[in-house]
Order: sequence, then structure tokens, then C-alpha cells
Amino acid sequence: MKSKILVFFLFVCILPVFAGGASEDQNSIVLWTNEGESEQALDWLNTLAARFEEQTGFALEIVSKDTEALREDYISASIAGAPPDFLWTVNDHAGPFKTAGLLDVVNDMYDADVFVDTVTFNGDAYAVPISAGNHLMLLYNKNLISSAPNDVNEFIDAAESITGDGVYGLVYNQIEPFWLVPWLGGFGGQVFAEDGVTPTLNTSAMVDTLAFLSDLKTVYGIVPEESDYGTADTLFKEGKAGFIVNGDWSLSDYVSVFGDDLGIAPLPMINKTGEYPAPYTSGKYFMVTAGLAEEKRELIKEFIAYALSAEVQEEMVSAFKRLPARKSVLDSPLVADDPILASSGKQMSYGTPMPSVIEMRAVWDAIKPEMNAVLFSGKSPNDAARAMQETAEAGIQNLQ
Amino acid sequence: MFRNVTNVGFTVLAVVGAIVLMEVLLYLFLHKTLKFRKALPIVLIAPAVIGIAVLILYPIVYTFVLSFSNMNLSNLRVSSGLSHSIGQFFTNIANIFTVPILKQQYFFPILLRTMLWTAIQVTFHVSIGFFMAVLLNRPMRLRGLYRALLLFPWAVPQVIAVLAFRGEFNYEYGYINTILGYFDIEKIRWLTDGVWNFIAVNITNIWLGVPFMAIILLGGLQSINPTFYDAAEIDGVSKFQRLTNVTIPLMKPVMVPAIILGVVWTFNNFNVPYLLNQNELETTDILVTALFRAAFLEFRIGFASALALIIFLILLSISLILLKVTKPDIQFQSEKKRLKEGETL
Repeated sequence: MKSKILVFFLFVCILPVFAGGASEDQNSIVLWTNEGESEQALDWLNTLAARFEEQTGFALEIVSKDTEALREDYISASIAGAPPDFLWTVNDHAGPFKTAGLLDVVNDMYDADVFVDTVTFNGDAYAVPISAGNHLMLLYNKNLISSAPNDVNEFIDAAESITGDGVYGLVYNQIEPFWLVPWLGGFGGQVFAEDGVTPTLNTSAMVDTLAFLSDLKTVYGIVPEESDYGTADTLFKEGKAGFIVNGDWSLSDYVSVFGDDLGIAPLPMINKTGEYPAPYTSGKYFMVTAGLAEEKRELIKEFIAYALSAEVQEEMVSAFKRLPARKSVLDSPLVADDPILASSGKQMSYGTPMPSVIEMRAVWDAIKPEMNAVLFSGKSPNDAARAMQETAEAGIQNLQ
Repeated sequence: MFRNVTNVGFTVLAVVGAIVLMEVLLYLFLHKTLKFRKALPIVLIAPAVIGIAVLILYPIVYTFVLSFSNMNLSNLRVSSGLSHSIGQFFTNIANIFTVPILKQQYFFPILLRTMLWTAIQVTFHVSIGFFMAVLLNRPMRLRGLYRALLLFPWAVPQVIAVLAFRGEFNYEYGYINTILGYFDIEKIRWLTDGVWNFIAVNITNIWLGVPFMAIILLGGLQSINPTFYDAAEIDGVSKFQRLTNVTIPLMKPVMVPAIILGVVWTFNNFNVPYLLNQNELETTDILVTALFRAAFLEFRIGFASALALIIFLILLSISLILLKVTKPDIQFQSEKKRLKEGETL
């Protein structure tokens, strides 16, 4: 009797083990994306996946992660041996992922001639472009500012005229060095030397840039004492700021708030150099995990082809005001005839492609604390620039 | 992974099934094959032992192994140059003291700050907590309500409480700055000024930590036999003497473990300093947040594992020293001494 009970018991136990194994979905493909809920981009991506499943019968599991979290989790998951199959994310992730040996070459997954430039290392493509841009630009509230300024002097005059009584001339994310880079370009500087990996931060251009940003606050008093991304965004939406420096990702959101009262212009020309500020341009990219099974890779290729087809790209342009990676759509009237997209495109033409090399991380890490020290603790731009260079060199050493 | 409820259900069933299967096999093996007498107790504690081994022991051992490696972004896999060696272990340890742990800051300033942070926190937790416990430890109306209110900060999930505080420290919209604004006092840059950010982190953690201390100490106060106070009253001591000569010595067995726990928790408190320091000010980072940044933002994993080892050793020695200095078994020892005296008499 006892042994019969035991046998029954064992049977009951073993059954779900097999059932659990059988229910494991071999056809499921996992995509991690940095698209979030806020602009409905994630919803749209889910719709794409649903349509793809209808057409092909293969399900796509989409996981949304914050940009930084995606970077950390992808590397952690890869160490643990369970990375997602492919990614939909920003280009600067390609550097660390490629260095860690996690990405596959994607030369065969798309037709490079039909799309804008992508992330390459030694001539091999490691990412397929989805959208172009991701660049900063000058946005203004037409209720406060009548017309776009042509140069920095005009810009400061306009901002000064409306500052006061809880209203700021300009708001921007004063924490992140991404917002410093365009001005650095305008003052004639670049973060890397010609070789693309040696940091050049202790330059007169950097000193000028830091002094300029500091002057906006201390001399002209047109920016808030403290503003991170969220604060700047809220102040602008509440009509408490004339200008904001923000990226193309925010356009659809601001259009819904301001409608025709939203003005867009390139960042104003720097009078000292006669150059326009050069924001970093990148965009969103597909990246494919190395070492996938051939069938999975084929399916991913199919999805990429679908997501980058002309119709889907046009959908993206209309819904999110992002510039498409497919050249034929980029040059189409859909983009050229839209005043917002046209201005955004003009700003992008002044931009520089954001480096994808792993050294970029050390450069961001070097600029951030010093930029904060200049803006919030009054450190001298000369000292800050020198410290940046030292930190960047030490940081690159740590990466080896 | 888990696409629907059925899938989750099957996975849970599979796990439960596997555990039961393992239990049965273990029992059969121990009882039938080995004829082992204590088979049942072993079978019953097996899931807990295995759980602890997999979830706690393995990560600790793995961290130790990683501290012998050169694992970082460029050497993530054996194929791309990952290697383990004793020499690498010493290099990692040496790097902790010679290379910046954060972007610019080295080990010792961070260690000093961590100690300062721990000292401030534990002092405030114990003193305010003790004060509140004494206030509550007397007959009064609505005592239950006060006690519930006191526990409130502890009942809110820490991460949510800290994120709420971060909002309150916002320069433009936070309520402290809004109030300062009404009085025409200059607003404070809680999130970008190093000193103020450190103060903000301290304020938040004091708010979070006092209730726990207060409740533990209240429990201790209530366990003190009232006859001691009666005796003190007969001897005619002042209220202050009653506190120093009766309450505090008798509270020691409760206070010492609570303080040691407080020190370890505060030293290792990640949520508060990390989440309130959204701008990555290096002047607010303590050792564990620096460790996190080195491991998961910079991916200097071998280095960070060695740092984890050092932090563990520091905490171990602090705890041992505290135990030694405060002698938590003082009551027990004095009891023994009294008995001995009685014998000699």
C-alpha cells in the first residue's frame, strides 16, 4: 500500500515537470527596448509586434526598460547567459556591448545603401538604424518669444527680456553633459582627437563653453538655480520658460501641449566663432545578440525588414515626429513639408554623430561632475577643464 | 518568459513538483537505503538549507571567486580575455587603495564619509528613538494611536518613501523650498549642492530609521521590572539619576544588538543615499553606492568584488569591536558575580 502511494505521489510530482518543459515557447523572441509609455512609443511597438505575429505566426515578447537600466541589465543578463535576442535602443550602447563581445555583425540583415549611416567598427555594421536624430534643439513658447534668435546675443537679449516673476528665459537639463556638448561644438571643440579615442577636454573651447553656461546663470540670470530634466520639462510646459533645449524625442509631447505655439529653431550661432552649436546625433537602432540560432536570426531579420519598411517608417514619422532612417522617407514630402520635422532636420544637419566607442563613457563620466561643479559650486572653468581631462584619462585606463 | 497565467502556473507547479520529488527521493535514500535514523528531520530542513545555499551562500562564494578575476567590460568572457589568478586578486586589492573608485574619489574619503554617515545616523536614531520610547512608556490616552503613527515611516516601502522625499527636495517644486520661498529665504539646492545633498540624505534616513529604534527600545523599556523604579523611589533618587542608574543599564541588553544592527544597516544602506542622489554627486556616495556604481555602471566587476570583500571585513571588525566594547552579557556576568559573592559569604 505504502509503495503504491509513493508511486502515485511521484507521478503527480513528475507530471508538471514535463508539462512545464513542454510549455516553454521555442518560437518566442525577446526584444528589449528603451521606448517607454510616456510618448506611446511602446504601445506602437507592441502594435507592430502584434501585426508581425498575425503575418508570420511568430510572437515577439517586448520588454521596456529605462535607457540606463537596459545597458546594465543587458550586460548582467549576458554574464548570466540569458540575454534577450535583440535590442531596440540608442547608438551609444553599441560601444560597450560590442567591446564586451555581446553583439553580432549585422551586415547581412539590411541594405546599408537604403538607410542612413550606422554604427560600424572596422567596417562591420553592429546596428541597424531605425530613426535618425536624437539631437538637441532650441524650442520656444511663442506666447513668450516672438521669433527665433539668430545668434547667441539675440538669444540672450530675448531671454533676459522675459526673465523674472517666476518665468525663466531658458531652461535645460543642467545635470547631464549631453546638454553641454552642442555648445562645445559651437565653440569649436570636440571631445575626442582625430583618432576618435583620445579625449581632448582641456581645451580653450571647453573653457569657453563652461564659462558661457556659467554666465547664462550668474551674469545674465536667465536659467534657474537648479534644473534637471524633469524640472526643465515641467517649467516649459507650464509656460514658465521662454526657451528650452530639448531633444527630438520630446517634440510630439510639446506639440500636444502647445500646438501651433511651439517654435523650433537650431541652437543659436556662437558670435565668437561664427559657428552653430553641434548637438550629438544618433537615433535608435536594432542590435542583435551574438550566437543566436540561425532560425531565430532569420525571424529577427524578417521583423527588422517589416519594422523598417517604408509604410512603418512613415507611421513613425507622423506619430512621433522622429526623422526616419530610411533615406527615401527622409527625403519625402512627409518630412520636408512638416515645419517641425523640417526645423528638426535643419538642426540635425549641424550635428555631429555621437561616438559609439567605449571611451565615450569615460568622457561623460569626466565631464559630469566638473560641469556640475562649475554650474553649482562656482568652480573656475579652467580648473574644471583640467580635471575633466585627468578624470577621462584615468577612466579610460580603468576600461582596459 | 512568462507570457500568460497558465505558463506561470505550470512553472510554479514544476518547482513545487521538483521540490516534492527531491524530498521523496532524499527520504527514500536516507531511510530505505542508508537506514539512517534521523532521516525525517534532515528531509524537513533540506528545502531551507538548499534555499539558503543557492540564494545566499552561492552568491557570496561567487563574489569571492570573482575577486580573483580581471572581469570588466573588455574581459567579460573567457573568449575575450577573462582570467582568474591570485596575482589578479592582489592587483584588485591594491587598486582599491590606489585607483579612484568613483569618477574621481578614492577609497579613504568615501570610507570616512561612510563612517560619518553611520555615526550621525545611529546617534540620531538612538537618541530620538529613546526619547520617543520614554515618552510613550507611561500610561496615557491614545497610546496605541501614537505608536501606530510612530511606526508609519517604517511601514512605507523604503524606496517609495525615498522617492517621495526626492520630490520634496526639488528646487522649484519641493515643499521645503516652497515654504522657504514664502518667507523670502533663499532656496536650497538640495539635489545639486554636495553639502546640502548629504544633509538631505541624512534627514530622510533619520525620518526612516527612528521608528524602528523607538519601537525596539519601547519594548525594552516595558520589559524593565517596575520594582526597580519602586526601589529607586524609596531611595529618593532624582528623575535623571533614575534614568542613568536604572533605565540605561537595564536597557543595555536591548540597546546593544539594536545599535549593532543599526550600524550594519546604515553602513550598508543603499536605497537612501543612492536614490536621493540622482545627480551622482560623488560627495554623497558611501561605500556601498560606490561599489554599485563600480560594478554595474562601470562594470569593473573583478575590482568591485574585491571591494565587496573589503567592505565585508570592515563591517565584521566594527561588529566585533562593538561586541567586545559593550559586552552585551553584562547582566548575566553581574548575576554570576553576585552569586559568587553570595557563595563566599
